[in-house]
Amino acid sequence: MEFQIPDFAPAYPEIFLLCMAGAVLLLDLFLGKRFRNLAYGLSIASLLATIAMIIGSSQQATTFNGMFLRDLMGDILKIAVMLFTIMVFIYSRIYQQDRHIFKGEYFVLALTAVLGMMVMISAGNMLLLYLGLELLSLSLYSLIAMRRDSLHATEAAMKYFILGALASGILLYGMSMIYVTTGTLDLAQIHAAIRTGDSANLVLSLGLVFVVVAIGFKLGAVPFHMWVPDVYQGSPTSVTLFLGSAPKLAAFAMLMRLLVGGLENMSGQWQQMLIILALFSIGFGNIVAIAQTNMKRMLAYSAISHVGFFLLGVLSATPDGYAASMFYILVYGFMTLGSFGMILLLSNKDSESDMIANFKGMFSAHPLYALVMTLLMVSMAGIPPLIGFNAKLAVINALVESRLYWVAVVAVLFSVVGAFYYLRIVKFMYFDQPGEAIRLNGGMEMHTLLTINALALILGLPWIGWLIRICNSALAQLS
Amino acid sequence: MTFEHIVFYAISLILLVSGLLVVTVKNPVKAALFLILCFVSGAALWLLLEAEFLALTLILVYVGAVMVLFLFVVMMLDINIAEMREGFVRYLPVGGVVAVLMMLEMAMILASSKTGLVERSHPVSHGADYSNTAEIGSVLYTDYVYPFEIASVLLVVAIVAAIALTMRKRPQTKKQTPSRQIATRAGDRLRMVDLKSEKKQP
Amino acid sequence: MQAVYLAIPLLCLAAAAIAGLAGGRIGRAGAHGVTIFGVGAAFLLSFYVALDVFRNGHLFNGPVYSWLSSGGYNFQVGFLIDQLTATMMVVVTFVSLMVHIYTIGYMADDEHNWPKDSLAGKNSYQRFFSYISLFTFSMLMLVMSNNFIQLFFGWEAVGLVSYLLIGFWFNRESAIFANMKAFLVNRVGDFGFLLGIAAIFAWFGTLDYDAVFGIAPSLASQQIHIAGSTHWSLITFICIALFVGAMGKSAQVPLHVWLPDSMEGPTPISALIHAATMVTAGIFMVARMSPLYEMSETALSLIIIIGAITALFMGLLGIIQYDIKRVIAYSTLSQLGYMTVGLGASAYNASIFHLGTHAFFKALLFLGAGSVIIAMHHAQDMRRMGGLRRFMPITYFTMIIGSLALSGIPPFAGFFSKDAIIEAVHHSHITGSGFAYFSVVIGAFITAFYSFRLIFMTFHGKPRMDEHTRKHLKESPAVVIVPLLLLAIPSVMAGWQFIEPMLYGDFFGDAIRILPRHNAFAEAGEHGFSAWHFMKHGAFQPPVLLALIGMVSAYIFYVARPDLAGEWRAKLAPAVRVLENNYYFDKVYQAVFAGGALRLGSCLWKSADVKMIDGFINGLARAVGWVSGKVRLVQSGYLYHYAFVMIIGLFLMISWFLYL
Repeated sequence: MEFQIPDFAPAYPEIFLLCMAGAVLLLDLFLGKRFRNLAYGLSIASLLATIAMIIGSSQQATTFNGMFLRDLMGDILKIAVMLFTIMVFIYSRIYQQDRHIFKGEYFVLALTAVLGMMVMISAGNMLLLYLGLELLSLSLYSLIAMRRDSLHATEAAMKYFILGALASGILLYGMSMIYVTTGTLDLAQIHAAIRTGDSANLVLSLGLVFVVVAIGFKLGAVPFHMWVPDVYQGSPTSVTLFLGSAPKLAAFAMLMRLLVGGLENMSGQWQQMLIILALFSIGFGNIVAIAQTNMKRMLAYSAISHVGFFLLGVLSATPDGYAASMFYILVYGFMTLGSFGMILLLSNKDSESDMIANFKGMFSAHPLYALVMTLLMVSMAGIPPLIGFNAKLAVINALVESRLYWVAVVAVLFSVVGAFYYLRIVKFMYFDQPGEAIRLNGGMEMHTLLTINALALILGLPWIGWLIRICNSALAQLS
Repeated sequence: MTFEHIVFYAISLILLVSGLLVVTVKNPVKAALFLILCFVSGAALWLLLEAEFLALTLILVYVGAVMVLFLFVVMMLDINIAEMREGFVRYLPVGGVVAVLMMLEMAMILASSKTGLVERSHPVSHGADYSNTAEIGSVLYTDYVYPFEIASVLLVVAIVAAIALTMRKRPQTKKQTPSRQIATRAGDRLRMVDLKSEKKQP
Repeated sequence: MQAVYLAIPLLCLAAAAIAGLAGGRIGRAGAHGVTIFGVGAAFLLSFYVALDVFRNGHLFNGPVYSWLSSGGYNFQVGFLIDQLTATMMVVVTFVSLMVHIYTIGYMADDEHNWPKDSLAGKNSYQRFFSYISLFTFSMLMLVMSNNFIQLFFGWEAVGLVSYLLIGFWFNRESAIFANMKAFLVNRVGDFGFLLGIAAIFAWFGTLDYDAVFGIAPSLASQQIHIAGSTHWSLITFICIALFVGAMGKSAQVPLHVWLPDSMEGPTPISALIHAATMVTAGIFMVARMSPLYEMSETALSLIIIIGAITALFMGLLGIIQYDIKRVIAYSTLSQLGYMTVGLGASAYNASIFHLGTHAFFKALLFLGAGSVIIAMHHAQDMRRMGGLRRFMPITYFTMIIGSLALSGIPPFAGFFSKDAIIEAVHHSHITGSGFAYFSVVIGAFITAFYSFRLIFMTFHGKPRMDEHTRKHLKESPAVVIVPLLLLAIPSVMAGWQFIEPMLYGDFFGDAIRILPRHNAFAEAGEHGFSAWHFMKHGAFQPPVLLALIGMVSAYIFYVARPDLAGEWRAKLAPAVRVLENNYYFDKVYQAVFAGGALRLGSCLWKSADVKMIDGFINGLARAVGWVSGKVRLVQSGYLYHYAFVMIIGLFLMISWFLYL
């Protein structure tokens, strides 16, 4: 029996974060309500410290028998996940306090969700992908349900939970099919076991379909998107904010690990599946979003269409395409944070203020935030010179280079349709009369961060090239 | 067809039928009982595969703990069966067709010559003194220590979440305060009251 | 040194940002203080750089910042500092500094130009300073660039600022019209310019000057297809396309129509942008591209002909104008024509020389005119002036210097540079040079005539303004006068100071390349040369004599026999009408292009937009409504519906991929 203690060093950030989640839990338990801001500060501090650890120890390594991968792509995604989470904490502080859900558990569960995402991002084994996914999902279900007195929140949590369980079942079924044919759970070994052009392998294809469907559910791609609008709308906005941003990065990592790290040689098949998911998502999401009156619901459909767009980059099946997708999803997460942050800004003790009509006349009341929202919406619509445009451009570029011209054309046409509902909000803000007085909520730190968030979409332009280059080199490492 | 084959098919049949019954019987208590039957047959299949530890664990954990809890819940809640089954007949045709078609598809895949499945050699049979508890233990804490730990974190999160979602302080909740109970002295527990004897009224 | 190069444009940009964004906070004094400091520092640093270049021969060519990378090409911000750039930097920053100082006086009571209490009028003073600093930044980026992308950036940026400034008083209908016109006409030029840049990128694979010039000789005989079966020389195509851009920016016929109208802007920017610097960007660009242009005689011929037409015919228009600024505007057009002729004759150095001297004396004339306008309470019609020399002696004196320089009377600066161009054309042998020679020589007479017509009508004769204005006539304040005096110095001296190194020496080093067979000055240079010799030789040549005749005739017509002017005007009525209508350029453009575009637009609107697109959109909207209605049924909120949709989706995916 020979056994070597695995090298823990690459996983120190995860270990540290887990310890800190435990510390927050215990501290909050003993210090109680009066020290809640301590939990808030400590959570942010531990995320920052974890980021510092990742940056400090950036390396390419494999440990725990190939189950834990440390590479540049993972590091970037983890850093982004944690930055997004910090922004979520800051944006939602006042909102949570107003609704009596500013609890220690909120931070603990958010931190464990982050841990789950980190596990997924680093997974080198299907088992870990599944465990990470469950850790993330379980934390999210309970975060949504935290607001027990709200019927909507409970309903949303229930729907998400049951459909999520169904999707997990589908994922496990697909994984077992893959295990049956290749005899291993290790993604690198799966990659080695499947030969290119191995299309005769029906069971493997079946497994692939199941796995893609499960990921489609997690991303919220049509036709597995049904939960998205209900859950986005029903959840407390502070959780929607989280739900809509960071987990998308983890889902991207999952796609990369599974489809590229493991099943790359079947790209001919998953490419077609993703084309269907992507085009349906873009078309459906953009068209249905037009008819919405609730801001959160509209952003949910917009999320569906953005997911479709980001799948386009993946399905081009080239490192450049993956990099474009990664860039897209990073930018998208950033824009989503800002957009939900605006809803949080308008909400107050008595009302959620999540109707589109709440934005009417914003310009006359608060010109600065009208500008902030305009930047966010215009960037979401993908109009130059905002960064959202560059993200779309990168994806379209990858498609064109893979000679999928018709897909590119359809995608562009639908994003033109999509521009309508984003710009409608701009119109509401600048040209309509306010229905009632608009009060702004949130503290100084939130206002500052939100403004920076929006301005970065245009002032960040000079650094885009740098970011795209990093994404490129991260994914060049992967394949 | 060996004896093992016969046992396998028999148990599998029980598993499938009881699984079907779980979703079709009207009484939820019965459904839970069929679910227990499913687990037991599953455990039997694992026994056939010489995975005795797993089989026993399945019965201990799922049958012994989880399902009992389930039964409690089902019995304690007043479930309106008629309301729950509403729409069952309405959706049965569509759902049934899809289910049958899906089953057919799977069957066709298995019947196809291109399954891609390779016949692997029969795993080595071990003697009666072979402990698969020890084997599982040794890989679980070495090769699989990472997923094992993550699974345990998952359980912690489940506990935290369950407590956070269900524990609430209602004004009428009655609860003990252990520290005060321990700190009491005999004098606190018993109070001597002087009662004046009453005189009988005439 | 790199830090110094970077500091020069960035100082101006920072000043513009401060004055523009915090204008309300820092007030008027703050705004002009910070911008004058920024531009002044930029001027001193430019001067330092120029000394470094000319004394120590320190050249620089390299990227300073990588902007973005797209499609395998890195867009870089880079500087090319050589003799040509250094010259331009000094000229630009010096004139800009003078204009900044002058603006303090000119814009002092700008609030009268706005409706009362209007938001736009509140900080207009600060905004104006912000714009002119921004312009200086853009122009510096343009001249300092070492690649075509940055050149294009500067090109568009100066265009933008020019647009903003022509329409600075945007409450005036005519200003809006003028800036729209300038914008549209420049767009035509930019289209050609972009085509040229695109062609360079397509064939050379790079946009760095050095690399392009290095590759160019190997592509000299490259032919390309454009349409049909005609073959074009690649270099000729590129040169002509780039020159179309230069025609727009430097206002050459037929893209000149925007420049006279641009006088709607405040006078300081007429001086800075529409006379001294921006309009010379085209001239600068062609000189910068001299290695390319030297390879295409066809392009040079086109340039010389366009230039000659502009020089002659635009000068004629100056004769009949009554608006003091328009006279100077047409003289600018005509002088730009001279520079273009110089370029066509391969005398790039002479053109840049004329560019420099012209910048000084034209800025002087404009600022002088501005000074007159201030005194006249913003009236610009020369028929209502006269006799001003008694009231404004310094303005009069400096305007005389400017006019003498413009007319090319020795020993003023204009004489040397203009005569150098005429000389070069005389020696040139390319197609069109004969016509060009004729134009520029006749042009000398016309220039002198309208310049002195302006002087005589404004400063001599009887005062023709109303009583109220005359009572208030006085010399302008010091901030206006000082720039005039400072600009007068180079207007007198720049000519004989620089002619020798510029034309015959090695002033420009490798920055300008001229093929030996095109070089008009090489021969003369070999025999030894001096400014004195040049002057002695030039003084008795036809151009100077014609200029003197022009001055004398202007005196006869407008001082000695003022009645003659009216008589001749009546006699030549048909010709005058053509001139008054600007050769009908505006009318034709208005009718054909503007009117045609409007008709096409309304036609498209009625047929395509209303019927097809609106129909489609409305149909789409209905379709969307229908789809959402259907979708709402699926999005029922029932959990089992959702689960069922998922399962059906899964089922369809399996069927699709396993059996298709």
